[in-house]
Amino acid sequence: MRTAFVLAAVLVVAGCTGEAGPDPAQPAGPAEPGVLRVLAGSELTDLQPVLDEAAKATGVEVKFTFTGTLEGAEALAKGEVDGKYDAVWFSSNRYPAGIPEAAKRLGNQVKIMSSPVVLGLSASSAQRLGWADRRVGWGEIAEQAGRKAFSYGMTDPSASNSGFSALVGVASALAGAGNAVDAGQIAAVTPRLKSFFAAQSLSAGSSGWLSEAYLRRATGHDPGARVDGLINYESVLLSLNASKDLPEPLTLVYPDDGVVTADYPLTLLADSGDDARDAHQRLTDHLRTPDVQRKIMETTHRRPVVPGVDLDSRFTVRDLVELPFPAARDSVDALLSAYFNEIRRPSRTLYVLDTSGSMAGDRIASLRSALVGLTGADDTLTGRFRRFRSREEVTMLPFNTEPGTPRTFTLPEGDPSAQLAEIKAYAEGLVEGGGTAIYDSLSRAYEVMEPLVAADPDRFTSIVLMTDGENANGTGLPEFQASFGSVPASVRQVPVFTVLFGEGSSAELGQVATMTGGRVFDARSAALGQVFQEIRGYQ
Amino acid sequence: MKRRLSIGLAVVLLAAVVAVVVWGRSDDAEGGAQGELTTVRGVIGSEKLAFFSDRRVVDAFAEHGLKVEVDTAGSRQLATSVDLGRYAFAFPSSSPAAQRIQRDRKTTAAHTPFQSPMAVATFEPIVELLEAAGVVTKGAGDYQVLDVAKYLELTKAGTRWDQLPGNTAYPARKNILVTTTNPAESNSAAMYLSIVSFVANGNTVVATPEQEATVLPDVARLFRDQGYTQNSTEGPFEDYLAAGMGKTPLALIYESQYLDRVLRADGSIRADMRLLYLAPTVYSKHTLVPLSDQGDQVGRLLSTDPELTKLAATFGFRTSDPRVFADVVGDKAPADLVDAVEPPSFETLERLLDAVAP
Repeated sequence: MRTAFVLAAVLVVAGCTGEAGPDPAQPAGPAEPGVLRVLAGSELTDLQPVLDEAAKATGVEVKFTFTGTLEGAEALAKGEVDGKYDAVWFSSNRYPAGIPEAAKRLGNQVKIMSSPVVLGLSASSAQRLGWADRRVGWGEIAEQAGRKAFSYGMTDPSASNSGFSALVGVASALAGAGNAVDAGQIAAVTPRLKSFFAAQSLSAGSSGWLSEAYLRRATGHDPGARVDGLINYESVLLSLNASKDLPEPLTLVYPDDGVVTADYPLTLLADSGDDARDAHQRLTDHLRTPDVQRKIMETTHRRPVVPGVDLDSRFTVRDLVELPFPAARDSVDALLSAYFNEIRRPSRTLYVLDTSGSMAGDRIASLRSALVGLTGADDTLTGRFRRFRSREEVTMLPFNTEPGTPRTFTLPEGDPSAQLAEIKAYAEGLVEGGGTAIYDSLSRAYEVMEPLVAADPDRFTSIVLMTDGENANGTGLPEFQASFGSVPASVRQVPVFTVLFGEGSSAELGQVATMTGGRVFDARSAALGQVFQEIRGYQ
Repeated sequence: MKRRLSIGLAVVLLAAVVAVVVWGRSDDAEGGAQGELTTVRGVIGSEKLAFFSDRRVVDAFAEHGLKVEVDTAGSRQLATSVDLGRYAFAFPSSSPAAQRIQRDRKTTAAHTPFQSPMAVATFEPIVELLEAAGVVTKGAGDYQVLDVAKYLELTKAGTRWDQLPGNTAYPARKNILVTTTNPAESNSAAMYLSIVSFVANGNTVVATPEQEATVLPDVARLFRDQGYTQNSTEGPFEDYLAAGMGKTPLALIYESQYLDRVLRADGSIRADMRLLYLAPTVYSKHTLVPLSDQGDQVGRLLSTDPELTKLAATFGFRTSDPRVFADVVGDKAPADLVDAVEPPSFETLERLLDAVAP
């Protein structure tokens, strides 16, 4: 069990969520008594010590496979969990509950712990804004954000539940109607949501990477600009404070008009057998005993869900108003759609794409289809929110023996279908041949990007570097590293998300990601299209 | 029943010892060795799980040679989507759900060993606010009630907590709404719908399609405006107990859930917590539909066995013989509720539930 868990965790770190494990038909192994195969949100890794003790006490072992909230809901709806898992365990069942095909697969739901999504600001920023000793509402927070009085990082709402909860919370609070928001209210509140999200300067596909990036920027380990705060689970913010790694602690701002709280229901699948039912019952009983609830609070900074376990002093605000969460999937989808196409700061992405001779055959076909997938060909739940969006700027820079000709596509406000068709045609026209000049091409990417940034600086800007081989032409990594200091400041802080494909060098691409504040994604064992979608959460 | 649940084990074990001494059943208990027990499997509404898991209840069934294992499901799921083929009995929390099961399974047998009125768990500051607003009053009986007609007026206007005059205790920018479960899945929401549709229909049980159409806008809002709702009544009640007033100022529950906690005296009911009855209210009639002879035996024992009926009362259920309940509960609950109405027919209720579900 331990081995399986470590394997799953490694695959998640490597960027291959979802299909962990050697056998895609049984990613978590076959059903066996005393084992609960759980499809879960990756943030539950921090519960492992508690689950190890639970295994000793109850004889029930948990085998995790990690995936995102939307991916999980989609897997439920499509029946991909049937027979492969015994339970699902996400931060909340709110999203799948709105999808009838997913909802019907949810069996007995038992809440294990809870954590509200709140704003954490560096202590000095909180002081400066006057929020250290006074409760404020989302309205005031949005107003100051609109003035760029502070900056913050948040996860992508289509990839991670903390960003999703924050988006719903802010929208509900700003709508101010006191009931669950509907599509009409979302349209009305869009201008104020734009203000709020104007201050977002960091996006991430996972809550864990967001915290790391915040920390690296706060301590000057990343070239990226410092960020004043984070929107995340209270538990993540308290963990950051407890780690003592931050130069200054985060002050937690609990909006007085309410929050959205994750309640982590360990949910048996409706079709599970007797052994799984029994294991689920034993495990949840154990996890809800007062002693274990206290242990969960102490080790994970999440709140207990059973009466009789008092919150300790780290929870400075105890009684939180819960904002109504829209039950109808239409409302949620309208909100996500508005967020991506109208509300958030638009992104600028430069794709540095290896089209060398070794890409011949399946590889170039994968690359084409991965890019085409982002133009709207992928109509899955996640695919719909990961495609190129209105207002976005996308530059393609193919390379082989030397960098090719860059081409920039600017998607308009409103209907982007004409530009999407052009990107699709461009991707389908990519041909392979020649050598591999990785670092000459990356240097060229900075040159291409500089005037684009100068002309329109207010975008989420990032570079994606995909290669299937080792550098064979032009400058090498050492020369690139030596010259990195002379890259203009405006583009030096742009994170580079590197994609390992084929025989790509993991060590070199790892160094590029680290020095630029990016992240490595592994497309050697996962579909390239899936990895390109995952990177969208960081763009 | 294996180790299916072990909430408050120490308390339960201690109580079990007391029970054996008081009722002098220790002699009988020695008679049946564990190996000879017949396993009977049932599916029940989740609010009865603690009862079936209690060691004293397990022992009481064991004396009759039975080991009762239960799975939980929302009462409406239980009536419509759960595969009942694997169970010896179904034990939903209301008579309409039981009637549906009886019809589908072509049986007329049923036992109604206990019942519980719907009520609202809340907090003293909320009671004071709602008293000032005329929504909480001293009802026809000698206990405080939430006046459902007045409550509907507030919700029709979309009143938020922070719009109540002089409200400093709970100025939340959130609609005044009782937190319920999902009407598509849970019995307590169906019982609540029975109550509010009765009031919205001019204090008459909704019986015609025209009446359904008339009440629908006013009752649908009560669910829609809440947004996401949980699928089991334990959910909102747990939030009420553990997360408090901010999250759940008004939780729709069965009276039994609250009385159970009061009688346990485990500290979970704190000094500022209050139980309000609804005026009018509906009784949730926990109805066991036997699907086999052994299931029928479970139903009979629950209705007639002195020990099991007394145990049911300690879990806050109102027993068929009111004296058993009164003996156990004493002055912690009114003996009789004066303002109870009947739910609509199963078909009407189903249509209303479908119409209000998000």
